[in-house]
Amino acid sequence: MILSLLIAAILSGLAGVIGVRAVLADQQRSRWTLFLMVLSFGCQMFWLGLRGEERAGCPLLDNGEILVFLAWSVSLFYFIVGSTYRVTLLGMFSAPVVSAMLLSALIPGMLDTDPQPIQNVDYWGEMHSAVSVLSYGALALGAVSAVMFLVLDKRLKAQDMNSGLFKKLPAVPTLIGSVIRLTVIGVFFLTVGLACGFKMQISEAGKLHLYAGAFVWLLYVLLLGVWFVRGMVPRKMSLFMVVLFVVSLSVFAVL
Amino acid sequence: MNLICLGLNHESAPVEVRENFSIPMEELGERSHALTGLTSVDEAVFISTCNRTEVYVATSDASLQNIEQEVKEKLGFDASYFYEFKAEEAIAHLCRVVSGLDSMVLGETEIFGQVKKAYQYAHEASATGGILNKLFQKSFGIGKRVRTETTIQSGQTSVGSVALDLAEKIFDDLKNSTVMVIGAGEMSRITVQSMILRGVKKVIVTNRSFENAQALADEVGGEAVRFDEWAKVMPEVDVVISSTGATEPVVKVSDIEPLRKKRKYRPLFLIDIAMPRDIEHAVGEIEEVYLYDLDTLQKQVEVGQAKRQQQVTECEKIIGDEVQKMGNQQRNNSE
Repeated sequence: MILSLLIAAILSGLAGVIGVRAVLADQQRSRWTLFLMVLSFGCQMFWLGLRGEERAGCPLLDNGEILVFLAWSVSLFYFIVGSTYRVTLLGMFSAPVVSAMLLSALIPGMLDTDPQPIQNVDYWGEMHSAVSVLSYGALALGAVSAVMFLVLDKRLKAQDMNSGLFKKLPAVPTLIGSVIRLTVIGVFFLTVGLACGFKMQISEAGKLHLYAGAFVWLLYVLLLGVWFVRGMVPRKMSLFMVVLFVVSLSVFAVL
Repeated sequence: MNLICLGLNHESAPVEVRENFSIPMEELGERSHALTGLTSVDEAVFISTCNRTEVYVATSDASLQNIEQEVKEKLGFDASYFYEFKAEEAIAHLCRVVSGLDSMVLGETEIFGQVKKAYQYAHEASATGGILNKLFQKSFGIGKRVRTETTIQSGQTSVGSVALDLAEKIFDDLKNSTVMVIGAGEMSRITVQSMILRGVKKVIVTNRSFENAQALADEVGGEAVRFDEWAKVMPEVDVVISSTGATEPVVKVSDIEPLRKKRKYRPLFLIDIAMPRDIEHAVGEIEEVYLYDLDTLQKQVEVGQAKRQQQVTECEKIIGDEVQKMGNQQRNNSE
């Protein structure tokens, strides 16, 4: 079972390496990245399916399961965003993120070695966990797109137009459009996730986790509000998106 | 192969000479056909572009002397401007032309279509036969091979194309972009025209002389704005092309800073092709502003040209191999 997770991590890692090599060699886009990501996604699904059976519910109890679910969610949104955008560079940027999440899940102690079935399934709780992790997938990919924009912006400012990376990065509106679109989707799912969370049976620690989640939600809403109403320098927006996503991961630490 | 190529181009003849030999596109077929009326000429194809006029003639006569003499007389051959290639040299030359290796802008792609069209006209006028049909078809195949197997057409070779590529990197589709031209000079006109070809939404022209601004605006289908009012239209502008003769900066930080909020911090691409520069260097430090001056764009042109130059040996090798193959095939057929 663990083997499928290891294979998924290796496949997505390989997808990233192939993507980087194609860019460095200034080659045409590599469809291998997408193919390997699909295979990795299949392995993640397989593992989550088996783990779900063991748990007799949504496998989102330990940190390892959350990381695998998050990697699955990032991969899912990677497939959902437009095809032209996907095969150019997003794979190269997101595949290492997926691989890192899966490898982190494999660190001893992250996954419960003897997963027990969930007793007294709380459907609101299940919904909260699943939808929230899905929202984090979209927000993670939004952060990846923001990193891509920051790289392009740096090259444009430095007037460095000769690298393969510069040539292959999508145009500014495509990248910023993706950052905003993925963040809006992420915030939407996070809203649903939080609403379900407030309906579930909550322990004291669970309350803290929910409040942290609500705080993250508020920051994202504020950021989007400023972007749409007042406008914001794309570079600042992207930086905020990356920092906010990293900070938002602390929500899982309060579990 | 009893083939001869006579011609002149931008390297062998000045423009005033090339003008005399230039043939309108619609007359190429007729002129090619007329040449086949000569007793020694079986097939002929005229090619005429702004930088070259060439004729390829084929004959069944093993001795090329008669054909050479007749064609030269007909063309008004002048050895000081014309070049001449025979047999395999002529084939290699055609392949170099089709591949853009003989063009003023190395590796340019327009020539491929121009030669193809010239051949079609000659073919429709029944001026071609077994030799030239095979030769031109083969040369098109080699031209395609050169372009797909090398990077001869990659990289930009003019300031305008560098600016255009950058604009598309910043705004993706120029169809939603507004361009403002400051200064109605030639460089501005050329650069904005290349952007118009990519479909910019709107062009605004401003100049110290409003009449000149109006004239350029009329020419490019844009709108003229008085020089002291350009800042008012800046909120809607995405790209600025500045090329005035001013000795002091025309666009300063103090002009752009107050507009940022109104523009909702949208990216702004400033192209300064003036000498001395029109745009204060510090403007480029504003976060959403991408400022490129003539030197930077020119350097990029040099990089593009150098990249293409590096590919020439590889292209020549492909052409050499293919011409040799054709020669061997020809010899095998005749044996």
